[in-house]
Parts: sequence; structure tokens; C-alpha cells
Amino acid sequence: MILDIIVSGLISGSVYALLAIGFCLIFGVARIVNIAHTAFYMVAGYGIYFGTHKLGFHPLWCMLASVIMVTLFGLIAYKLFIDPIREHEAAVLICTIAMAMAMQEIMLLMFTGDFLSVPSLMEGFFKVLGVKIFYQQLLTFGLVLLILIALWALLMKTKLGLAIRSTAQDREVANLMGINESRAAMVTMGITVGLAGLAGAVVVPLTILEPFMWMHPLIMMMAVVVLGGLGSLKGSFVGAYILGFAEALVVFLIPKGAFLKGSVALSVMILVLLIRPEGLFGVAFEEER
Amino acid sequence: MIMGWLAFYLRKLYSIVRGEILVLPSRVVVVLFCLFLLLLPLFSKDPYMLRILIQASIFAILAASWDLLSGFTGQMNFGHALFFGVGAYTAALLNLHLHVPPWGSIPFGALAAVLAGLVIGIPCLRLRGTYLALTTLAFPIILMGIVFTLPGITGGELGVSGISRLSGSRIGDYYITVVLMLGLTTLMWKITDSKTGIIFHAIREDELAVRASGINTTRYKLLAFSLSGFFAGLSGGLYAHFMRIAGPSTLEVGLSFTVVIWAVFGGIVTIYGPVAAVFILFPLLEFLRFWPEYRTLMFAVVILLILLYMPEGLIPWIRDKIEKQCPRCKLRNVAVRKTCRVCTASLD
Amino acid sequence: MRRLKVGWMMMAALGLVLAIALPARAADVIKIGVIGPMNFMQGKAHWNGATMAAEEINAKGGVQVGQKKMMIELVKADSNEHINVTDATNAMERLMTQSKVDFVVGGFRTEAVLAMQDIAMDYKKIFIGCGAATDELCLRVAKDYNKYKYWFRQTPINSTFLGRTSFIHLATVGAILKKSLNLPQVKIAVVGEKAVWTEGMIKAAEATIPKMGMEVAGIWQPSPVATDVAAELSAIQRSGAHIIFTIFSAAVGITFARQAGELKIPAVQVGINVEAQKDGFTQATQGMGNYVMTLNTYARGVEFNELTKPFVDAYIKRFGETPTYNAGTYDAIKYTLAPAIEKTGTLDADKLVAYIENSKYMASAGTIAYLKDAEGRPLHEITWGPGYVTSVGVQWQDGELKGVWPNQWKATPEAPEVTYKGIVPYKIPPWVIEAYKK
Repeated sequence: MILDIIVSGLISGSVYALLAIGFCLIFGVARIVNIAHTAFYMVAGYGIYFGTHKLGFHPLWCMLASVIMVTLFGLIAYKLFIDPIREHEAAVLICTIAMAMAMQEIMLLMFTGDFLSVPSLMEGFFKVLGVKIFYQQLLTFGLVLLILIALWALLMKTKLGLAIRSTAQDREVANLMGINESRAAMVTMGITVGLAGLAGAVVVPLTILEPFMWMHPLIMMMAVVVLGGLGSLKGSFVGAYILGFAEALVVFLIPKGAFLKGSVALSVMILVLLIRPEGLFGVAFEEER
Repeated sequence: MIMGWLAFYLRKLYSIVRGEILVLPSRVVVVLFCLFLLLLPLFSKDPYMLRILIQASIFAILAASWDLLSGFTGQMNFGHALFFGVGAYTAALLNLHLHVPPWGSIPFGALAAVLAGLVIGIPCLRLRGTYLALTTLAFPIILMGIVFTLPGITGGELGVSGISRLSGSRIGDYYITVVLMLGLTTLMWKITDSKTGIIFHAIREDELAVRASGINTTRYKLLAFSLSGFFAGLSGGLYAHFMRIAGPSTLEVGLSFTVVIWAVFGGIVTIYGPVAAVFILFPLLEFLRFWPEYRTLMFAVVILLILLYMPEGLIPWIRDKIEKQCPRCKLRNVAVRKTCRVCTASLD
Repeated sequence: MRRLKVGWMMMAALGLVLAIALPARAADVIKIGVIGPMNFMQGKAHWNGATMAAEEINAKGGVQVGQKKMMIELVKADSNEHINVTDATNAMERLMTQSKVDFVVGGFRTEAVLAMQDIAMDYKKIFIGCGAATDELCLRVAKDYNKYKYWFRQTPINSTFLGRTSFIHLATVGAILKKSLNLPQVKIAVVGEKAVWTEGMIKAAEATIPKMGMEVAGIWQPSPVATDVAAELSAIQRSGAHIIFTIFSAAVGITFARQAGELKIPAVQVGINVEAQKDGFTQATQGMGNYVMTLNTYARGVEFNELTKPFVDAYIKRFGETPTYNAGTYDAIKYTLAPAIEKTGTLDADKLVAYIENSKYMASAGTIAYLKDAEGRPLHEITWGPGYVTSVGVQWQDGELKGVWPNQWKATPEAPEVTYKGIVPYKIPPWVIEAYKK
């Protein structure tokens, strides 16, 4: 039973971490609350469905193609709709909501509202100490760690990473120091959308594809990011696992209340915020400059 | 004698209309809008159209209440559906189980929503900006979980049904909601113009400074949450009695988002902006019914385009185009004028 | 100048609104509104069934109403009920006031149908439900006959009957397993999505299963939109259950079947799984949903009476998939409304209601007769039982949905045996046989 909880918590935590990191990054760098983040995740999933089901290609190629396509799509959408109004944060927020709605509707039109699914990259499961784990779940977990390491390397060791980090810390000064702040934002946008697409590619085989699937992960992801502290990658990582375990605890300890796992996770978030209003690892300085 | 008295007041009315209302196109629009809403049933009793306008009025109250909290006081509330749902469920339950008539259940529903406002206001006191927004998002979801946990009381996904009507007829419903909408939004607007409203606005601009001035911002923030909750709860109760069912759809995230969209689209930190936005967008969405597949998509596209060109919101943009502010006395004038109507300073 | 412009604009807007508001009316057609979530399976099935019925009737010249023949005109109304109950009520009202329909068929989501029913009743138009199973819709007819008499249910059988039928399935499969696998006592895990409609059934299961000589191994209630039920499945396996009694209508039905199949849980799934009724189930579960058994209204090859095969075959030929219960709009129009109109010679709702509630007739899903409650009040609920509508138990076998129940079924020990044409034997999944061979 304990093992079930640990495994289940790790898996769902990894899924949330994948999504939260991207969301957190774009907020930290460009102050954009990208409500459409999980919508990109959904579009990537549909892309894989289309590739595997209608065109008959191998899932791996569909994944790669999907991720690239979603990234391009995200960049174009950003350039067209968000970049011009970046100064008005409220308007940007609504814009991302509208974009998410538009993507939902386009998916609804193209694929109808029926529930669809995508084949796993690796079928089958294996047993660890009596607990059955799907290979795909292990893949998700492994991928999260991989991405985190890659991202850490990018942010800490490369010049681009330096630019992104400095823009995240202080936009105006970074600009003064010669960093093209809007280009840094654009690159970050590309990275986050790519991350969302990657999350879609890896997670979607474990879940059901439908045009409204972007709403639930969005809420959990935002809870994770808030819990961990906006703008803190470490915080998102830790927060993701905390909430993942919270959910696993609910599912196992109260089987009849399994549907409450979302509510419980959100309550955990609120409790933490009561004690520490900037989240676990958030920075408590004056955000508005 | 009476004729003279009547003539005096008619002349006074005329001079007010000419001096105060007709000078500014925005005021003319407001008056025409009110007249249109109030006199419409004389021209057309089409129940479908009245239904649309009733729902638009209910949502207009909701959107305006959001603006009071999030626009003026700057507390970005992404869970406004909570107040709506609490108001709706409370009114519905009171009506169904205790047989409280609508004019009682709706205010009680609003009071329950005020309590809800305090419940979420207190944790949110220390939060800012996006943290606040995302936390408020969580509350309706938690409440929805509770609703599903107690299906015996709340009816679970079926909701509470069999509630009594607002009034005996569609026209009666229409006038109740429209008059309430006009009254409540005027009240909200007056609040923003009062001392409390100025403090709200100041809290939004710079809370630290307000606190430094010796004002207890906690009390005012809680007041903002409560007032917003009150009005939103009223709209929830009206909704429950009009639709005669109160279900979990009143707590959905989608509704919270839609309220925010309306308000930002219409222009935040005005009260009339969200009201206008609801009356434009809601019938538009219905109107687009003859392209059922593309409806929501077109809605999203319209919003995207409008925000691209008018990021402040639609109504402030329109207002800026048709009115100019006098640099000396700060009063608004019609854009075509060359000199201010009050202080005769040049407007260019 | 500007003021005048504003004034004219307002006038123009008013004129536009009135223009939309003024309805158009064609003469001498019977307008039937089809209301449902048209972007989703259920609404599409509503529309398909209705279209087929309307076309067949119109091809024969229409419906004889007294002296003249009138054609049927269908009006499509997208209720969008999945998303928005407000939209659904607006759509219904629009049907009533703008399109001025004479009858309405359709409906799906319970919360929305309850609201839509109220509106149709206000306008005194016959509304035939082809979607929501909740008993409440028909209980209202008994409680307030004068208001709700215009409502009839066509499909599916109501929640109580759905429960009863699933228990019969459980008993049948339990007996098969006990015999083939030599089990001393059959254990059943009850898994129902967390929803109001499953509460009653779960309680009934807890009470009924011991009476059937089997044991309840445990009760689980995942969220209707759960995307991962591996935790529940581990627990179910550990409980030693042989049968999983599923009570699903939402997406969790797919997730559960897929993961149970992938993890090769040694238990068979029997019960209600609405997603498993759809042809797309195999794709949705990536083929792992084999051997899942569920209740259904139609199945390929299964004939309830001589009207079933022509309908099912024509539907499959035209739309490429088996009709779901929502396609009961076909029966509603062709076998309920049209004959009633012809027999009474009028479109008057009150006369039609009086005729329909006392009629007994054949439809493609079985023979329809309407129930009365214990006090003799009309419920406008379809009767369940041998000789009426029993629904069919279907099982996925090698990617095809086959009818497996009723197979030599006796409703009571004295009743005659019922086996529909086209029923095949139930199959036990090979991995379950493997697991219990020791």
C-alpha cells in the first residue's frame, strides 16, 4: 500500500512537474501567465493521434513531428497575438484564455468531441515489489529528470541561459546590459511550448484525448506553480511532487473519495499559501516594477 | 396651479437633459440603453429575446461585481463563479426545502455569498497578483468537490431543481431582472465614486501607500470581497430562480473565465465596461447560433482581435475616440468640440 | 450630429434584433425539433436517427393528418449541454418560439434535460426523451400530471431498470465463471464513477449481490474523468475479485478498461460502461478493451423483433457505425409520433398524449408500453421485461461488439426462455482462465 502511494505519487508528480516547469519559466521570464500552456499540450496529443491513426506512422516520429509543429505554432501565435500587447498583463491573460478556447474549438471541429487515445511508446508493464508500473509511466518519470537536467544545463551553463535568467530577475536592467529582452522572451516562449508539446507526447498515451482535456491539468499545474512559488523552477519541481503525493494519498486512503483528489490538492496549496504567501521557494520582493 | 408646477419640473428636466446628458455621447448612450431595455416589451414580447436579455442582465450584474473587486480593488479574482454558485445554491435550497419565496431566498443567497467572500478574502489578504488569482481559482473547484460529496443535499451533478419562478410571467421576470440590473450597477458605480471607492482604487494602485496613510487596508479589502460577493450572489440567486435549476454548472471554471473575459473585454476599472461587454458578447454568442460548430471559435477570435487593437478594453477605446478630456478642468467633452464646454480652454 | 448618429445606430440595432426575432413559418409541415449536443456522439446519433425516420416517412408521402398528408421537417438544435446548461435552455426556447416546432425529441445530460423539460412543458409541446435515464424525469409526470404529461421517455430504460438488468448480467456471468473456473464463491468488486446516478445502484449492488450468492469484494468510486485508475486496479486485484461490476458513463470507462486490459487484471468486467457501447471503443482503449461487457440498446446482428434488423442495418450502412441508444429518435418519430398522429388525425398535443400513453406498439428496440406507478398514475416510462424492451448485453470479442445476453434467460422460473436472434455465447478472457487454472 505504501509502495502504491509512493509509485502513484511519483508518477503524477512527474506529469505535473513536466507541465509546471514550462509554465513557470515563461512567467518568470516574460511575466506571461500562459493559460494556453496545457492547450498546447492537448494539440500535441492530437497531432500524435492524427499521425498514428490517420497517417499510420510510428508513434516516435509522430511525437517528434508533433513537438516541432506545436512549438512553431506556439511561436507564431505568440508573435501575432501576445507580443503586441505584452505591456497589458490583464489583456495578455485574456488573450491566452481566448487562444486556449480557440484551440479547443479547432480540435473539436477537426476531431469531434469523442474520446480518443494514442498508443504508448512502450507497451506493457512490469512489477516492482508487487506494484505494477507501466513502462510509459516510467518513461514519463525518466523524461522529467532528463528535461530538468537539460534545462538546468541550459540555464546555468549557456549564454542563452544567462540571458533568460537575467531577464527573469530584472527585465529593465537586463535590457540595459545589452540583452535583447524581447528576443529572450520569444526564445523562452519557444522552449516552454516545446516543453508543453513534449509533455503531451509523453503523457497523452496515459490519458484520454478530448477537446476539453486541457482544463484539469491547467488547474493542477497552476496549483503546483503557486505552491512552489512563481518564477522558481526548483519550487515547481518540489511542488509538483508534493501535490502528486497528496493526490495519491487521497486515492489510496479514501477510495470512495477518489474524486476529491483535486480538491484536496488545492486545499494543500491554500494552506501553504496561508503560511507562506509567496509559495515555498518564491521570492517575496515587490513584483511590480 | 398643478399645470404650472408640472411645467416647472418639465422645464427643469429639459434643462438637465440638455445640459448634463446630451453634452456627452457616452451619457446619451447610457440613457438610450436604459430606455431601450425598459421600453422593449412594448414593442416585442418575443419570449426568446426576452430570455436572452434576462440572462444578459443577470450576467451583467455578475460581471460588474467582478469589476468592483478585481478592477477597482485590484484583487484579481479568478474564482468569481464561487459567489455565483453559492448564491444560486443557497437561494435554491432555501426555496425548495424551506419554501422561502424568491424575494427572500435571493437576498439570503447573497448573504451566503458575502460569507463566502469573507472566507476566501481572509486567506487572500496576504497574497498578491498572480498568486491571488490562482488561489481564487481553487475555491470554486473545492466547493464543487464538496457539492459532489454531499449529493443528498446538493443533488450532485443533477443540481437542485423544481425551484419556483421569479414572477408569474416572462415579462415580469424581465422587468425584475432589468430593473435590478440597472439599479445594482448604478449602486456599484456610486460606490466606486464614493470615499470607499476611492480607497479601493488607491489600494489597487499602491497598497503600501494607502496603509502608510493610516487606512486599514485589510478592512477595505474584506469589504471589497464582501460587496462583490453580495452582488454576485444576488445574480446567482436570480439565475437559479429564472432557470429553476441550480447545478454544478454555476461553479464551473469556465464561468469564472468567461466573467473575466467579459470584464477585460469591456474595460476594467469602469463599471459600465463589463455591463456593455455582456450585452454585446452574450447576444452575439446566441446570434452566432446558426453556425453552431464555429460559434465558440468565432467568439474566441473576436476576443483575440479586439484585445489586439484595444488592449484597454472596448468601451474605454470607444470612449476615447468620441470624447476628449479638457487639459485644464479635466472634464470630458465631445471629441468634435474645439473648446471645453465649461472652462472654454482649447481642447487640442 | 453625433448624437443623431448614435440615435440612428440604436434604431438600426433594434430593427436588426426585431428582424431576427420575427420567426419564419412554412405551411403544412410537421416541425420536429431534434435537440442534443450536436458536436458530440450523442447529438449526432439523435440527429442521425431522426433524419432516417423523417426521410423514410417523407419518402412514403409524409404523415396522414386527418384529410391531408404533411411532410416532416426536422429542426436541428445544438443544446451544447455538455458545456453549458444555459445554452441548452436557450436552444430549447429557441425551438419553441423561433422555430415554432410541434414536437421535440432528444436530450442527454440529466441536469440539462430537467431544465429543458420544464421549458417544453411550459409551452405544452410533446418532448420525447432519448438520452437521460434518471427516474426523476418520469416521476415528475406522476406528481404533476397536468404540467408534465407532454413528456415521454423513449430510450434508454430508466436507471432502476438499468440496475436490474445489470444485476441479471452479473448473475449470468457469475454462474458461467463459477462453472468454468470451478470457483467456490464468486467475488465482485463494485466500481462506480462518483456521480449521483451511481449512488443508488451501488447501494442496490451491496444489497443484491449477497442475495445472488456472491460476495462483494470492495467498493471503489473513481472520478468520472479519472485518467489513471492503476491505483484502484491494484487494490481490486489484491481483493481477489473475479468480476468487476462497472458503473460508468463517462471517460473513466475507457481509462479503466484500457488499464485493466494492459495490466491483465484477472477479473472480467460486467455492468454499465457507456463508452464501451461505442464503435470507437477499440481505438480509444488501444485494443485493450476486449472482453468488456456492458448493457446496450442495439447490437449488430441482434434482433428484438422484425423491425430491429432493417433499422440497424440501414443505420450501419448509412452512418458506418452501430446505432447507440440516442438513435432512439428514430423510434420516437417513426413508431411513436407518426402512428399516433395518423390514428388520432390531429397534431393536438393533448389528444396525442391521451392516445400515446395508452398505446402498446412495436418499435425497433422492442415493444413499447407505458408504465403507471403504484397509485395508478401515468409515468410515461417504457416498460421493461421479456416481451417489452429488455436491452441487450454486449461483449467486445476480437474487436467486435457481440450480443451475449439474453441467452436462454428466464425472467422468472415460470417464464419462457428468451434468446434473441443473433446472440452468441459469452467469452471469458484467456488471462482470467490462466489466472484461475491453478
